[in-house]
Amino acid sequence: MRVLIVEDEKPLRDSIVEQLQQAGFNVDAAADGEEGLYCGREYALDLAIVDLGLPKLNGMELIKKLRAEGKSYPVLILTARDRWQDKVEGLQAGADDYLAKPFHFEELLARMQALLRRSGGWAQPVLRCGAVSLDPRTQEVTVNGRRVDLTSFEYRILEYLIHRAGEVISKGELTERLYAQDFDRDSNTIEVFIGRLRRKLDPDDSIKPIETLRGRGYRFALQRENVA
Amino acid sequence: MGPRSLSTRLLASVSILLIVFFGITIAALDFAFQKVTEQAMHDRLEAQMLALISASEEDSSGGLQPAPEKTEERLKNPGSGLYGEILRSDGYPSWRSNSLTGTGLDFGAQVPSGQRQYRQLHRGDGSPVRALSRSITWEFDNGVSRTFVYSVAEDLEPYYAQLNRFRGQLFGWFGLLGLLLLGALAYLLRRLLTPLRRIEREIEEIEAGRMTELGTGYPRELLGVTTNLNALLHGERERLARYRNTLGNLAHSFKTPLAVMRNLLSGTHGRDLAVARQLDEQVGRMDDIVKYQLKRAAASGGIGLGTAPIDVRSTLEPLREALLKVYVERNIDCELAVSPGCLFAGDRDDLTEAAGNLLDNAFKWARGRVRMTAERISDPTARRDGLRLIVEDDGPGIPVEERTRVLDRGARLDERVSGQGIGLSVVRELAQLNGGTIRIDDSPLGGALIEIRFPAT
Repeated sequence: MRVLIVEDEKPLRDSIVEQLQQAGFNVDAAADGEEGLYCGREYALDLAIVDLGLPKLNGMELIKKLRAEGKSYPVLILTARDRWQDKVEGLQAGADDYLAKPFHFEELLARMQALLRRSGGWAQPVLRCGAVSLDPRTQEVTVNGRRVDLTSFEYRILEYLIHRAGEVISKGELTERLYAQDFDRDSNTIEVFIGRLRRKLDPDDSIKPIETLRGRGYRFALQRENVA
Repeated sequence: MGPRSLSTRLLASVSILLIVFFGITIAALDFAFQKVTEQAMHDRLEAQMLALISASEEDSSGGLQPAPEKTEERLKNPGSGLYGEILRSDGYPSWRSNSLTGTGLDFGAQVPSGQRQYRQLHRGDGSPVRALSRSITWEFDNGVSRTFVYSVAEDLEPYYAQLNRFRGQLFGWFGLLGLLLLGALAYLLRRLLTPLRRIEREIEEIEAGRMTELGTGYPRELLGVTTNLNALLHGERERLARYRNTLGNLAHSFKTPLAVMRNLLSGTHGRDLAVARQLDEQVGRMDDIVKYQLKRAAASGGIGLGTAPIDVRSTLEPLREALLKVYVERNIDCELAVSPGCLFAGDRDDLTEAAGNLLDNAFKWARGRVRMTAERISDPTARRDGLRLIVEDDGPGIPVEERTRVLDRGARLDERVSGQGIGLSVVRELAQLNGGTIRIDDSPLGGALIEIRFPAT
């Protein structure tokens, strides 16, 4: 999952970036509204975290501009002022949730996961597709109740595919959403990871969770169990 | 009795002044007129007296009589109002005018020789007459001198009638003059007080929020008042805005480091975990103190001059939508009932903060239903309606013994109960600063009912 954090306070920004990366996110960071607007426009994001009190272009304007340009990924606002008027205006501008500073990182993470789930069309915290279920909160994956051990990157690919279960996702999109910018973007790597995932999830080749559509990409093929 | 208006006071004072002034004038004129007419009557009596003396002739019995052809006609006609008599020194009349017939008037004069005497006498029927008597000594042709008392008198009725006519005219003209003066004064006052009335009207408009300041074009004498009042209005509004902005900046610059601390602490592992938890708790406390005090300080604390009453529906509806968006996954049914024409006579931010906190709490605790009701509190004697705001949910509710503590939490942060917000105590502060009260009860929905009442003022 690729997320953008727009926050002008460097220590806070760095701290959030670090923790989000540890939680498995591909994180972009911007220090002011204009930089945030550039990132929000140019990158294929799954979510943006925007502080309201930003220099150059304030958070409210930033969100309005992104929404006006048709960007539909969820936006979470951070506010230090904690005024209802600000929250209401932020939500009217197009944000989906707010968090008042100072917040616990776990709270931020929970709100982000809820927003991501909702944007993927999921109503419940645990994502279930056929025999496969994935809990983003614990990063636990089971197949028919059996726990599957995945590496961090395997998990991130699977989470992304299940989030968008039923949709065709290109290798390029996967690379862009899951790799940090400075990462080696070799599409063969994706194929290798998809191969490993198939072997771990479906060792006897019976449920066939991940389809390959030649020249187009991949699709998580199992039926969603709890749809919004 | 209410305070009287300037024009009433002035008109009343001027009326009293006019009554006193006209009263003295009328009394003086009346006195002068009386003197003049009295003098005129005396002059007439004196002339009649002289005519009677010069017409006198000796008669056969040694008395005096006026020669008939020289006698004034009125003396010959009974009831003419002019009377005459010549009295001999032995007290017997030598002559009495015909006009005295049937009047019952008796001069009975005893006047020392060579003197004259004015007297007020009464006829038999009681009507007054003015009489002049004079004692003269007549030297007869035979050389004998005798003393006679001549008297003439005139009815006072015509004199009084004249006096009354004069008085009637005097009162009539002065009354008319007084009315004209008062009318002119009222008109002048109206014109003079027009700018004051305009100020009054414009202040009403400002209070109703239809104007933001007093207009221009006031007379020089009032410009000081109007410009200063405008400056005060602007100053108050700007001060509140600047003050809130400063508080916002303060919150921002204080909370960002707190946020950094929190994030750093949540990255701590292992041995330091216990310390981290304690530090985190302290960060939470600092946050609550700042939040509570800043929210309290940012409250406008009632309505400022020139603030229009706030439309309640258009303030609450966005809050409802915002919270439905945030709590979309909870599938909460949130009903908003605002009675028509419901206004809040206060600051929009205060209402938004209070309602936002209440609604957020309700959404947090509700199982599936939240209801927000706003009603007018009408009072015909008040200038502005009050407002009753009720937020209910179907959550677990607030136990009776907890209610006071929940409302007081912000004020006594030392007794902080971890995990509980300070939302309700902020609402209590906002309500009280706006002259309102807050009450916690059980809702028919099954959970908590919180009511804020802002009374009509």
